[in-house]
Formats: sequence, C-alpha cells, structure tokens
Amino acid sequence: MKRTLLGWLLVFAILISACASGGGGGGAPAPAEQVAEKVTLRLWSHQNAAFQKANEDIIAKFTAQNPNIEVKYENFPYDQYIQTIQTAMAAKNEADVIELFGTWTCSYANGGRLAEVPADVMTYEQAQQIYFKAPLDGYYCGGKLYGLPQEFNLENGGSLVNPALFEKHGVTYPPQWKTFADLIADAQKMTEFEGDKMMTAGFSAVTGDGVSFTFLAGILQSGGKYFAEDGKHFNFDTPEARQTIQMMVDWAQKDKVVDPVLFNDTENPVSTSFFTGNMAVGFVGSWAAGEGSIEFPDMKFDYVQIPPYFGPEHKFAADSGWGKVVSVNTKHPAEAWKLAKFMAGEQDGSLTWNIETKTIPAMKALVENPEQLLAAAPFIEATFGLLPFGQYIGDVTERDQLFYEIIYPAILEAMQGATTVDDAAKKINTEANAMVDAKQ
Amino acid sequence: MANLSLPLRGKRIGKKTSGLRAGQLGFISGALIPLMLYMMFFSLLPMIWALILGFFEYSPIRAGNSFLGLGGENPFIGLDNFRAMFAESQPARVFRMAVVNTFMFTLLVLPINLAITLPLAVLVESVHDRLKGTFRAIYFLPTISSAVAVAIMWGFIYHPQQGLLNAILKLVGIIPPKAWLTDPNAVYLGVPLAMIAVIIAYIWQDFGYNLVIFIAALQGIPKELHDAACVDGANAWHEFWRITMPLLKPTLLFVCVLTMLSSFQVFVIFQVMTNGGPSNQTTPLVMSIYLNAFKYQNMGWAAAISMVLFLIIMAVTAVQFWLLRTDWEY
Repeated sequence: MKRTLLGWLLVFAILISACASGGGGGGAPAPAEQVAEKVTLRLWSHQNAAFQKANEDIIAKFTAQNPNIEVKYENFPYDQYIQTIQTAMAAKNEADVIELFGTWTCSYANGGRLAEVPADVMTYEQAQQIYFKAPLDGYYCGGKLYGLPQEFNLENGGSLVNPALFEKHGVTYPPQWKTFADLIADAQKMTEFEGDKMMTAGFSAVTGDGVSFTFLAGILQSGGKYFAEDGKHFNFDTPEARQTIQMMVDWAQKDKVVDPVLFNDTENPVSTSFFTGNMAVGFVGSWAAGEGSIEFPDMKFDYVQIPPYFGPEHKFAADSGWGKVVSVNTKHPAEAWKLAKFMAGEQDGSLTWNIETKTIPAMKALVENPEQLLAAAPFIEATFGLLPFGQYIGDVTERDQLFYEIIYPAILEAMQGATTVDDAAKKINTEANAMVDAKQ
Repeated sequence: MANLSLPLRGKRIGKKTSGLRAGQLGFISGALIPLMLYMMFFSLLPMIWALILGFFEYSPIRAGNSFLGLGGENPFIGLDNFRAMFAESQPARVFRMAVVNTFMFTLLVLPINLAITLPLAVLVESVHDRLKGTFRAIYFLPTISSAVAVAIMWGFIYHPQQGLLNAILKLVGIIPPKAWLTDPNAVYLGVPLAMIAVIIAYIWQDFGYNLVIFIAALQGIPKELHDAACVDGANAWHEFWRITMPLLKPTLLFVCVLTMLSSFQVFVIFQVMTNGGPSNQTTPLVMSIYLNAFKYQNMGWAAAISMVLFLIIMAVTAVQFWLLRTDWEY
C-alpha cells in the first residue's frame, strides 16, 4: 500500500514539476521593484519579411525613446495567424498590440475582444482628418474607433504590366488606355495559344479578391448598390450585378483574354503567373508589385492605373488594410496605446512602415508629400489618383466567406461555362443573404 | 508457458506475489497514468469541448459571457447546427459535398490501395532475400516524405502548361493535355478529374506503409502450411486464396481500418494541390472543418461537422470489424 502511495506521489510530483516548468513563462518571479519599473508589451503580426523588418525598425525607435517599455515582437505564418489570434483570445493570452487587417476588426471588436481607442490617443473626428475614409472605417465599429490603420488596401483600379510582352506583340507601351475596351483590345493581341491551350493570358483578374472586388466595383460604377435597404443584407441579383458578371464571362468566352480553367486562384494565380511571364496584364493589388520587386528583382514590370469598367470615373469598394489594435485584455493599456499610436498614428512610424512594406499609406499626409515613399516604391504612384474614389467595403458580415466561398466560386463557374450569368447572380444573392441570416 | 503460470495460483506463492503484484501495479500506474492524463488533456477534453461547441453558435472572436465564453454572444442553439446540415444554404451545400467527396475519396483509395499493396507484398516477399530490403526501402520512401512536398511535386506534374504529365501526353498524342486540377467540367464515371488526380498522388505517397505491414504479415505465416498445401497439390493461386488470404485477415482488418481512418481525415494533400476546388469538387470534411473553424469563425458549425465525421468513422470502423472479424489466430 505504501509503495502504491509512493508511486502515486511520484507520478504527481513529476507531473506537477513538469507543468510548473512548462510554458516558458513560469520561471522564478522577478523582484518586485523590477516588475514595477519595466513594462513588457507583446506585439503580434503575420510573417512577411518586409512587414517584420518595418515593425522591428519602428519598435527599435520606440524602445529607444521609451526605455521603461520592452516590446516582445512575435510573428506567425499568415495561414496560422488568424488561428493563433483566435485561440489565444479564447484563452485571454493574446498579445497586447496586434497587427490586424482592418476588414476583420469589427468582428473582433463587436465580439468584445478589442479595446476602444481612448479619446486622449485619438478620436474618430481627429482620425478622419488624418486617414483616408476607406482604411479608417474598417476600424470604426458601432460608433467607436478600435484601431489605427497603416495601409490602404487597394485591390482595385491597378494592374501589373509586362513591357516585354507589350514589345513582343507590338503594343504601345506604356499603355494608352482610355476605356476598358482599349485594355481588352491590347490584351487580345498579347494572348498566346498553343493549339487550343492558352499559354499566356492577355489579362486576368481571376483570383478570389480580383473577381470579388471587380464584382463590387462594377456594381458601383454602373450606378448600383450591393447592400439592401437594411444595410445588412445584400442586393446582388440586379441588372448592375448581372452586367458585371457578364463582363467577366466575356473576358473568358468572347474576348478570350483569359482561360479561367488554366488561370485562377489555384492554378496560375495572377501574383505568380505574371512574374513567370505568363500574363501580360495582371489585375491585382499594388502589394503584389511590392512583393514582386523583392522576389523577382530582375524582372521589368510596372504597376499602372486601368480605366473604369463602366462609366467615366472610378468607384470602388476597398478593404481597410493592416493597422494596429489593442487587446481588451492587456494589463498595460496606456503603454499599449502609446506603442500603437507611435507605429500607426504618427507620421514617422507610418512612413517607415509604408516605405519598408511598400504599401499604400492610410495616412493622407504621406500621399500629399510622397517623395520619400515614391523613392522606395515608385509603382504606388499609379494608385494615388484612385484613393479619393474608394469607399470602405462596409459590414459584409463575413468578408472571407462572402468573397472566397460565395462570389468567387459562382462567378468562376460562370466564366468556365458551368453556369449562366443569371444563375450566378441568383446564387450569389441567395447564399450571401443566407450567410447574413445565419449570423444574425 | 502453462507450467509457469500454475504456481501463481498457489496459496503460498500468492502471498509472495501480492507484494510483487502491488509493485507491478505501482509501476503500471506510474507508467500509464501520465499517458492517460496526457490523453485526457489533449484528446478527450478537446473532444468533449468539440461536442459541447456543436450545440452553440460559438466563435472565438466573440468573448461571450459566463463560463468558458459560452452563452451571451455565443448562444446555446441546441440541435440547430445539425438541422442546418440539411438546409439549402451555402455552408450546408458545401458540407454535403464534403461528405460525398470524403466517401468518394475513401471508397476509391481503400480498394485501389489494397489492390496494389497486397499483390506487391506477395511479389516482394517472393524475391531473393538480398533484394527484399531494397524493394521495401524504395516503396516506403514516399511514405516518409513530407505530405506538403509530395503535394507540391504532384502539383508540378499536373501543371496544365509546364507539367510533366501534359508534356508526355502531348508527345504521345493519344489524349489531349488536360487541366488536371482545375477543370470543373471534367468528370469521369461520376468522379471529378481533380479527385482522380489527388487520389493518384495520395496512393503514391501512402501505399508503402500498407506494403510493409503486409510483408511483415506474410513473413509471419508458418511455412509449414504452404509446404503442406504444396504436398496436397495446391498451385500458387490456391495457396494465395486458401492459405495466405485467410491468414492475412487480421492484418487486412488492421490495414483497412488504418487506411480508412487516414483517408477520412485527409487534408494536407487537398489543401496544397487543389484547395478544395474546382467548385468544391475536392473539399473533404476535414478541410470544411478547418475553413469554418479558423477562416470563417464558425467554430460551432465546424464542431458539429467534426462530430458527424467522428460518427461516420466510428460506424464504418464498426462495420469493418464486423465484416472482417476472426475467431482464431495462428
């Protein structure tokens, strides 16, 4: 009996000691005076070489100015980032300051996971003077501001262009497009086939983001709206929506500038096939130009503005882009907001971040005085003329589900000839509204 | 063996062994309890948590209220998640497609895998001893390769423009090159081409595992039985069907269950090769669970799907046990 008891005690002693030593954070407590003096903040972002470098540089400046604050910077592969944030939030173990995509922010804020920006840090009225509306409104939820944007995420109105293919096919370069039909006419000249198989796409926007943003922009440019009267449900089964889907179907079936079976999000996505020389004009956000300039330094390309699909002027819905938010569970809210403001609310921090990540600034002042930014990322200039025309995408309930599970698959099927334009519009409308109802 | 066990039943030795048995019990407890606790914390509790979440409209991005974040913004909804699986909504449609895809994948992988590995094991077993190891190593190599690497490699092979397979097809000229992974209209005998392509890649990676198990089982069949059959005039075919196959039945059950389990839980190869496309034709249940839980923040719905997957696997495993049961050993 004694032996059994001893066995049990041994087992539990081992377990307890293992638990106590696990986790890395359970060491001997620091002396009380040290804890009181030094505040340690944790900052999270996704893994991206340029983003990491930018954050590290700003943190170095911040800690130099604030020696009592230590910042532990941790980053995670993009695919695991959301997963990590969510599981950590459920365990109330998330970082104090989190780099969050603006379009996701309201989901977290409405769920009570984020702290509101204190008025002494920045009010919404002040923020409106500082930031463009599209990126800012991603952080503005139910009349409260929950974060500070750094990036104007623009997936609309610009395209990568390959000068070598323009030259090869005798097409004027730089492009002189006045209407979208001009772009398609040039793209047709640059589309290459081998037998029936398309080897080079003249123009493609066939990605989850590309198709979805084109769809929303097409509706807006046709004078339509995609939100129903209640501002929650959608109105996708409209003449404007069908006209936009028809335009994309025409790219594939009438104009034959892209084969959506061979060029889509899974096979030959724009950000890859353009840089391997298999696409002349690739509709994608300017972030792809930034990545391309790093990953394909020898390739010559430009990022240019494209004409509106319908009507004389650009109208588009935009995501909010990356910015900084503060967890509601932080034990050091004042220091956390100080860091967030230093990184995203002050010009120096924001400029460093935009220069190193080669992203479009959310801050108006950086676009008004763009010399330093353009020296690092000249391709961004093509987007500057578009920024005032952007509106925030709005509360679309669940952005990724709407884009990647509802709009993109339905339009891709229509482009591939597996369904009609009318059926695609009906399907998108039904499924999108069912998604809203399910989340009510 | 029998002689050794008899004294343990004796009264005198019983006293001696009681101390020994207590020691044994202590050792066994000491060895098993940590593992049991480990399993409880990292397997049983998550399963119970998933079962609970299946009855809530739970999302980790909502704080909820009360205990464990349940209630409030994450309300109890009873069987609504399970009822919703039969609704005409997009998530329900994708879920039903995922069920069909998972069954299709498993029902094709299992027989094809067995049809390749069993005869191959017999062949490998019949070659000279020096060569057996070489064959085993070659066939087993893909199994220890990273699933992501295998998926990427097969992705290159299937690439519509620069892929090896289309280059060969073009050279031979029998059938035209295809978009192996992305054409939603390419369906053969009810099976999408993308599904066929992934199955080929999966079997290529997985068959070495079953092969090694079959080889080990074949080596365990007493040679005397084959000799006796030979003496009785049985040919190789008779030997295989009357001796080898019946004696392999426990191994066959083991292989069937394991292959089926891994097929029902397949994820990586689909994620990398097709990402569930085209048109959800290759979305398996586990991918649907992952997407809903971590991409679309519908963790309650994902938990309900995971319970369905659990029940499916349990039912199919029980059926396999029943069909392939044996009452004897050799």
